[in-house]
Amino acid sequence: MIDIFLLMFLVIFSIYSIHTEDLLSSVIVLSAFSFVMTIVWTRLNAVDVAFTEAAVGAGVSTIIFLSALSRTKRGEEKRVTKKINIYNLFAALIVIFTGSVLVYGTIDMPAFGDIEAPAYNVLAPRFIIGSMAELGIKNFVTSILASYRGYDTLGETTVIFTAGVSVVALLRRKGGT
Amino acid sequence: MLDLILSKYNYWISILLMMIGLYGMIAKNNLIKKIIGMNIFQVSVFLFYISMGKVRDGTAPIHWDRALIYDNPIPHVLILTAIVVSISTTAVALALIIRIYKNFQSIEEDQILKVLAREENKTDS
Amino acid sequence: MILYIVIIPLFVSLLTPLFGMFNRKYAYFISLLGAIITFLFVIFTYKKVVTHGKEYYWFGGFEPPFGIEYVVDGLNLILLLIISFIYLLVIIYSKKSSEKEIEDKRLSLFYCLLNLFFTGILGIVVTGDIFNLYVFVEIASLSSYTLIALGPKRQSLMASYNYLILGTIGATFVLIGIGYIFMATGSLNMADIKSRLVPIYHSKMVRTAFTFITLGLCLKLALFPLHIWLPNAYAYAPSSVGALLAATGTKVSAYALIRVLYSVFTIDFDTNVIPFNKVFVFISLIAILAGSFLALAQKNLKKMLAYSSIGQIGYITLGIAMSNEISLQGSVLHIFNHSLMKCALFFIAGGIFYKKGIENINDMKGIAKEMPFTMAFFVIAGLSLVGVPLTVGFLSKWYLLLGAISQKYFFVIPVILISSLLSFIYIWRVIETAYFKDSNSTKSSSEMPLGMIAPVAVVTILCIYFGIFTELPLLLTKEAIRILIGN
Repeated sequence: MIDIFLLMFLVIFSIYSIHTEDLLSSVIVLSAFSFVMTIVWTRLNAVDVAFTEAAVGAGVSTIIFLSALSRTKRGEEKRVTKKINIYNLFAALIVIFTGSVLVYGTIDMPAFGDIEAPAYNVLAPRFIIGSMAELGIKNFVTSILASYRGYDTLGETTVIFTAGVSVVALLRRKGGT
Repeated sequence: MLDLILSKYNYWISILLMMIGLYGMIAKNNLIKKIIGMNIFQVSVFLFYISMGKVRDGTAPIHWDRALIYDNPIPHVLILTAIVVSISTTAVALALIIRIYKNFQSIEEDQILKVLAREENKTDS
Repeated sequence: MILYIVIIPLFVSLLTPLFGMFNRKYAYFISLLGAIITFLFVIFTYKKVVTHGKEYYWFGGFEPPFGIEYVVDGLNLILLLIISFIYLLVIIYSKKSSEKEIEDKRLSLFYCLLNLFFTGILGIVVTGDIFNLYVFVEIASLSSYTLIALGPKRQSLMASYNYLILGTIGATFVLIGIGYIFMATGSLNMADIKSRLVPIYHSKMVRTAFTFITLGLCLKLALFPLHIWLPNAYAYAPSSVGALLAATGTKVSAYALIRVLYSVFTIDFDTNVIPFNKVFVFISLIAILAGSFLALAQKNLKKMLAYSSIGQIGYITLGIAMSNEISLQGSVLHIFNHSLMKCALFFIAGGIFYKKGIENINDMKGIAKEMPFTMAFFVIAGLSLVGVPLTVGFLSKWYLLLGAISQKYFFVIPVILISSLLSFIYIWRVIETAYFKDSNSTKSSSEMPLGMIAPVAVVTILCIYFGIFTELPLLLTKEAIRILIGN
């Protein structure tokens, strides 16, 4: 029951965050959205991901947003032109179309929590057994992240490096060092 | 019917959230608002992945003597990677917005496009 | 062996900002060294693949589908050759061009991002794991956003931002598709997914996954209705970045699309289970015509080339969509040829901007007298783009036509002819202005510096060389398609 309410919260927060014209409150609500998401993920037993989301999604990204806001503007301005309606309608059409294709895909999806689902029966058993037997690591997520799919993690680190270099390259001042 | 709804509830909510985020990304005029939409869009895709990793009566994917069934650890791993990608994109996008604001004194897309269109006409004629 | 193809650019990208702190010239030399070593490794891999047929590497020694696998077969071998070659040329070219267009302080970071971009696309090409593909797509995208934003004009910022938004939507669509595929099959290795998908083709999950991955890649590929990010991104990026994006960026997405359509899904799925290919043929034809028509309307040379790219991307997807061996061969040949031609043309556009500071075609009156060699190369590369016999452009168009005939898609033939005519018109417009209109200034020769004209010369000569001596590209592509469709 609590999960259903948490998910409802997520919907409300996301709509508010998109809708409000004050960018500051929008960012704060986005941060709350991330925190609720953290709780949802903890409820789904994804503890490692929840940790990361709490630190990165709710923490770091809010800080980045706030620092960006402090260097730009706080308010959002309404579009003055009359085109607005057509444009939003077009966006809504795209979104409804994409959403309905996605929902169409869920029709013959395995039910939530189904133990027979292929996602749980192809790769996962080897990882769950192998983590202790092959590698001796108690946390399966760690063993996959660092060992079985360690190369993805190298890619992930490269992405952060790219982002770091990009931000420095973009924001480096002309006169400074 | 209730069973069907309960068995797909998580997926449907994550799809709904994705669509809210995507709408924000496409329809909003404010550059920062688009990035907020992007964040919501990506995080809800992550919710979709994490929901798929849940197994009924499963415990967290950490070795435990009394555990009977573990949850699926693979989606968790994929999402750990994807979260980092998402925050990196956000950081680059915001750095870009700061540069745009410095150059155009505005973070509204239509205003900036108007300025650019005017400039282009000037160079052409 | 194939591991080093990706690791060396990554390693170089770590070294460039470090050494760039002492002297920005080091950043260039290290990148050049890295590009040469990568190219040598690709040549080694080429020799190995030609003798053994396939080359693979398992990360950490875990066998697929449990670990991540790198595979090089015929198809990605071609991509590897062209990318590593253009990597080398772009680094050489960017020495002079970037020194002028990019501030000194940012130069070592620029080289760093250039190397990261190549890490990303080389990773996309060699990986056999579908989630790994997503990670490398993001590395390539993130670095390209910033590379575009470093362009000399302030338009580059908005171009980069638009690309960022659409690129992220594309990448996230791919991620959603991967999620659906993982849910349906439980696997992430491409070869493994292929065998697991066959019995569940009727599943709605699989169809949705297919739709989203294809849509996402088409956004990255800039297929016609989804092309809006491309012209500004190519035109306002630094010259060397425009060339590398046109020559490799979209080509890699096209490669990824071929991989997904034929190595993850099968022809049977693409044509029989869902009517994807028939729809895709029409979209491609529209893209070919629209790209060529829009190119006609452009005043800015780089933008004209960018719109022409959109048309040429239509050719590539047309070959993919007709899905017989000949048309696919034509498509892969066109990836190869178009990389060479567009690389040359963007290099030349960048060279004219470097020397003269002009971008609009109307300002280029009589420029052939001042830059005779450059414009001669432009003529050759331009004719190749049109598809004149004895140039590479002819070869791929010929195979696409043959493919259309063997599929009995006769309506494709007039479209290809019309589009060739249109491309002749827009190339001729530049040639006419450059050769037959009098210039206002009567300056004598002012060619590009050697470091910039040498890469142009090499690519243009290759355009002719592979147009006359066609054995090598034909053999490679034929083998590649045989492996791709065969199993």
